[in-house]
Amino acid sequence: MIDFSLNEDLELIVDTIRSFSNERILPKIRVFESERRVDDDVCKEFAMASFDRLELPESLGGSGLGMLARVLVNEEMGAVDPGAALALDRLGPAFYVLDAFGGLKALSQFARPILETEGKRAVLVLESDSTFDVEHGRVSGAVPWIPSSRADLVVILSDTGARVVEHGSSLQPLRGSGLRAAGASSLRLEHAPVIAQWQDARKAAQALAKARLYAASLLLGVLRHSSEFSRNYAMNREAFGRPIAHHQGLAFLIVDMYTAVESVRLLVHDAALKIDRGEDGTQESAAAFVEAVEASRFIGPNGVQILGGHGFMQDYPVEKAMRESRALGLWMGGIDRARDDASKFLE
Amino acid sequence: MDFEISKELRKEIDETREWGERQVRPAGLEADRNGAPLPVDHLYFRRYLEHGGGRTRWHGAGGKSSSGSSDGVVKSVILGEETSYWDRGMTIANPGVGLPEGIVLASSTEEQKQRFLGPFLEPDRPRWASFALTEPSGGSDTANFKTRARRDGKHWVLSGAKCFIGNASRADWILVQANADPDKGRAGQRAFFVEQGTPGLGGFKIEKKMGLKAYESTSFTLEECRIPENNLLGEGERSSEKPEQSDKNVKGYKSTMGTLNASRPGVAASAIGIARAALDESISFARANDLMKQIRVRDRLELFQRKLRAAWLMVLKSAWLADEGKPNIVEASMGKVYAAEIAQDIATLAMELLGVVGARGDHLIEKLYRDVKALNIVEGTGQIQRVIMGRQLVGLPR
Repeated sequence: MIDFSLNEDLELIVDTIRSFSNERILPKIRVFESERRVDDDVCKEFAMASFDRLELPESLGGSGLGMLARVLVNEEMGAVDPGAALALDRLGPAFYVLDAFGGLKALSQFARPILETEGKRAVLVLESDSTFDVEHGRVSGAVPWIPSSRADLVVILSDTGARVVEHGSSLQPLRGSGLRAAGASSLRLEHAPVIAQWQDARKAAQALAKARLYAASLLLGVLRHSSEFSRNYAMNREAFGRPIAHHQGLAFLIVDMYTAVESVRLLVHDAALKIDRGEDGTQESAAAFVEAVEASRFIGPNGVQILGGHGFMQDYPVEKAMRESRALGLWMGGIDRARDDASKFLE
Repeated sequence: MDFEISKELRKEIDETREWGERQVRPAGLEADRNGAPLPVDHLYFRRYLEHGGGRTRWHGAGGKSSSGSSDGVVKSVILGEETSYWDRGMTIANPGVGLPEGIVLASSTEEQKQRFLGPFLEPDRPRWASFALTEPSGGSDTANFKTRARRDGKHWVLSGAKCFIGNASRADWILVQANADPDKGRAGQRAFFVEQGTPGLGGFKIEKKMGLKAYESTSFTLEECRIPENNLLGEGERSSEKPEQSDKNVKGYKSTMGTLNASRPGVAASAIGIARAALDESISFARANDLMKQIRVRDRLELFQRKLRAAWLMVLKSAWLADEGKPNIVEASMGKVYAAEIAQDIATLAMELLGVVGARGDHLIEKLYRDVKALNIVEGTGQIQRVIMGRQLVGLPR
């Protein structure tokens, strides 16, 4: 039955996370960005509201919510600061791999200790983004960039399976192009002992599907923000005696940006609903990610363009949105791999 | 939130598909080959009546509520998309009240329903009605229409010209938009039933088109065309009142704009139907010609599939909003422009996939390429839709 409305529970979640993001994150986005971290009191408040365990099963003390709730929350947080969102959600998309392969047991063994210790972070890396060697149950290699300043648990996802590493990793801080509030590091593993590993290509695809949707929904938030901020700016900034938005060249651009955001949102929701129904959403999630990344190429630079010189300055958030959207689009395997999976329907 | 189509509706889609494959596609191809609409006595139209089509949604005098579509816009666009998949032109060529039905149901008097919709309850033969809005001087700027209606005793006298009007020469009656009080601009707009054969209604010219050849797009003139006063939509009992004394009189214009808002999802859905046909034909062609391993081919097809899904959800959302009675001006325009432009892109890239085969002019994709262009023009061009959205989103002045 076609229905585009949210139920009351989801509306409440959206309202709550929107208020939290606007009140607790928005005033300090440039501070968090320059300090490469989010304030401890903000982290505590986020955890107190159980937003750091949104999808963790209720039996493990989580909220047990599904993918739709996740993408709604991510859109709101992405619209304020996707880097802070990653810093606050300390399990991040690593959760999906542990859940897909190890279920309750793995979540209890690996996810809960992360949540129970202040500041700990789990990171998900894709084997395709890295160079890894595995020998005698130990893994060595390097990942050029992770959006994190900590890696207390490293979950490595390949096309056919996953590995978990807890010790033997080292991080080298980076400046990072975007998502700086999450921290930015290169990750090195030196004969790190593999403490769990699984083989199942189908589960690997399902975990990646969710991870992509996680990234796409953050990206959606960034694009919404850039689009809305530049729209409001254009309605207030005047040139040649009228708001610049009333020059048709800009009006049409703003309309097209609004449309591009909506197309991403609909595909993100479409994939999330499919996953929540228990169906295979691999293709839909990949398509949502591709759409989000393609839209980011259009919206990111144009958000800056509408503000002209001001857009280029860090006094305004659109330059940040342009950088964040680019970084998110490179994450979780990037667009080319996603396009391969989005075209699986042709087989 | 749920984007799934119900089982009951799926069954209706299946029935539409079967009819579409067996009857609609061949009829559309025949018209395209002939370069002209099928004649009114074509067997297809008889079959359409026997199949249960060509009838009004009105339930007759004393029947159930007749204040609008009983099935809802969502269902209408879903079934419309399926029919357009098989041939968009034939969906317009089909007998029935067609485009003006929503306005007539919403705004006409009972007497008018009986008179104008009555013959469509159980039609003895294929019958058409028509809705005439567009004029040679423009289509979207309704306030600037040149066709005039002048009161003369117990008659209205219409003068002007209309163009690109669907099924006009074969229609029993045409609902003609005309301005009864030009000083008032849009507020002066009214709709009038003009019956076929009325003196002054003439000059029918069936246009030759690039695509969508299955239905007639007709230009005609109104020269001192005298019609009874109770042919003014929504008027009858109140005919003695002056226009400004009747609240109902403003319905002429409002009903027109209301129709455009509610009908954009339908037009967008038909663009989606054409594009989906182009996608399916592209996949068949790629498989038959062993192209599927080529990454550029796969990338194109992935793009088709993804954009088509986004466009379809956009259209469904605008239709759902209409069913919910919520404002859908932005969404209806957004769905219309996005669907029409994506559909054109898909058909264009599908032609590239065909290569020189597309240049032969005998492949279905080549027909779809010609057909789909109209969807970014009718019911307000893509640029007009952006203007409408711009008014809502940034207060773009009129």
